[in-house]
Amino acid sequence: MNKFAKLVAALLVLGIVVLALIIFVPASRTAPVSSLPANFKAAEGHGEYVMRLADCKACHTAEGGKPFAGGRAIESPFGTIWSTNITPDPKNGIGGYSLDDFRAALYDGIEPDGTHLYPAMPYENYRNLKEEDVRALYDYFMNEVAPVSEAAPETDLAFPFNQRWGIRLWNWLALGDAGHPDLYDDAVLNRGAYLIDGVGHCAACHSPRNTIFAQAGETAEDSDYLAGGVIGNWPAPSLYGKGSAPEKWSANDLAAYLSTGRNSHSAVAGEMTQVVGESLQYASDEDMHAMVTYLRHINGKTTGGPDQMTNLATDAGNDADNSIAAASSKRADLSGETVQLLASADPAMPLGARLYLDNCNACHFVNGKGAHGVFPALDGNALVVSDTAGGLIDVILHGARMPSTDKRPERLAMPGFGDRLSDEELAELATFVRQGWSNDASAVTADDVAELRAAGFAH
Amino acid sequence: MSEANFKLNRRSFLQAGAVGTMLSAGYSANAFAQSETPHLSDYQPEYFTADEWKFIVAATDRLIPAEGDGPGALDAHVPIFIDRQMAGDFGNAADWYMEGPHDPDAPAELGYQSPLTPAEAYRAGIAELNALCQTEHGAVFAELDKQTKDAVLAALDAGEIKLSSTQGADLFDLLLQNTKEGYFADPMYGGNHEMAAWNHIGFPGARASFREWVGVEKPYPLGPVDISGKRG
Repeated sequence: MNKFAKLVAALLVLGIVVLALIIFVPASRTAPVSSLPANFKAAEGHGEYVMRLADCKACHTAEGGKPFAGGRAIESPFGTIWSTNITPDPKNGIGGYSLDDFRAALYDGIEPDGTHLYPAMPYENYRNLKEEDVRALYDYFMNEVAPVSEAAPETDLAFPFNQRWGIRLWNWLALGDAGHPDLYDDAVLNRGAYLIDGVGHCAACHSPRNTIFAQAGETAEDSDYLAGGVIGNWPAPSLYGKGSAPEKWSANDLAAYLSTGRNSHSAVAGEMTQVVGESLQYASDEDMHAMVTYLRHINGKTTGGPDQMTNLATDAGNDADNSIAAASSKRADLSGETVQLLASADPAMPLGARLYLDNCNACHFVNGKGAHGVFPALDGNALVVSDTAGGLIDVILHGARMPSTDKRPERLAMPGFGDRLSDEELAELATFVRQGWSNDASAVTADDVAELRAAGFAH
Repeated sequence: MSEANFKLNRRSFLQAGAVGTMLSAGYSANAFAQSETPHLSDYQPEYFTADEWKFIVAATDRLIPAEGDGPGALDAHVPIFIDRQMAGDFGNAADWYMEGPHDPDAPAELGYQSPLTPAEAYRAGIAELNALCQTEHGAVFAELDKQTKDAVLAALDAGEIKLSSTQGADLFDLLLQNTKEGYFADPMYGGNHEMAAWNHIGFPGARASFREWVGVEKPYPLGPVDISGKRG
């Protein structure tokens, strides 16, 4: 054997040893970020509250299934990942988990037997949880959730993504320290940052993914933090920087959007619908104030005290000028090229404008401003002008429906226009709204529409 | 996720909310016409027999004749609408109270009094009227000349011809009502072919918002759109 062959053989052996270590040596689990007395008990209801804000139920409950019994399909770029049963059933759920096992799942994405969870479970974000909240959640799942002895479907991704040991390497690259640093001298801002970054796991969707599909920004210290992401065909808009909602909207409007799914500018659609309906609407007034204050702070805006944000059901959008009453009293205001084109009802207008009049105008009006709390504005709407047009196309094809919340229970809906518009017509219409008024986004093609139509209804 | 799992279709949405704004306005040419409904002569009736179909075609043609101002009932495919209507819920009185008692002398506000469904009333009434025309004029209704057809319909309307077979249902009233419906209803129901009736009266169809045109003293220029989204 010559020297070269010996070297290759040695490297090969070394490689196999390293691989074996990666695969067979148990991954270490992160310790608690603070120590609590063994008899620590969270306040009554706090565990359920943390569960709401962490939105565990949305992913871990199948459509029409029993709460927390898993079985909801999470579509990922690598295939379908099935959510697991997290009821306290000892066999099919997490009934056998110790507190340390539970924390390892939240912080490290590791099951008690060492199996790595797919990062569809946002442990990148849940790593930020305080030990008090981990304990409260653990007590909630063990004592307040009904056990369900049904096995959730097994996730079965194609090679190489079924080699879960590879996630261990990913974790080394993707995971930062556990716990959440207090970056501010202000308790409200620190609380808001903790809720946004940790429990609320906003960055899981609203931060872009980097080259290894880790969140490119998990805290305000990272450059792409909350800079907007893409989920399937849908955009998750940027929450950071010029033109983002927290930068543009008033504190009241931001709070109204997050807690009722609607405000004077917009209404939720897509995945955010269930985030509001099942999670954010349960945030206390103090926590909502903290999240809004923090989101505005990172965008250079100050916010008053919580007492100024109390009447969301009635006051939302009072600062805006597009209420139905205001619009009626200003009916004569027909300035602007798009407005004039639509108001002319000229039979020679381009097809996109004609389709807008035939299909959209009854609710969104010639000024594209809709009506506050009822019809979202299209002018300046993040979903409408996003580089990712899929969300807009999906809403036109299939419609959208607001969540029912305690403060605003009406599930106001937009019908789907998929059977009223051909792919070509829908593309003309989408292009028109993406380029009408002050909007300046790229055109949509009939092929874009055909692709989403074929994909079917996903939300 | 059951909350988010829904799909609204436009028809049920329209049915749920009242969308009714009628504007008297102008009439524009078929800038975007794209209809492909089969011609009346190619239509195979779902409910009516061949003889009944001839009667419906002949009678609606006299109620809204083609030589008048605007499209006739046949241009608008009104007979297709009535045939589908009789094959559907209305013709079968699907959601009406149809148990007795039936009192032909009851005041109008007590509602429909015949034990026959509208479809059955058409069937019985057409047979009886055709027999009567055969006796009086030597031919079934569809084969009479225009003047005689008009005289028969006028007599039926005035109650000078009384049909006993319809058992209290008024064939003329049904026919006139259903003809108007077929003329003006959305084309999705088979009538108002290519939105001809809407174009004629300047009704803009299922567009539902004309806020900028309230108080504007000139005709609304844009042609109609139907529920399926076709442009007339």
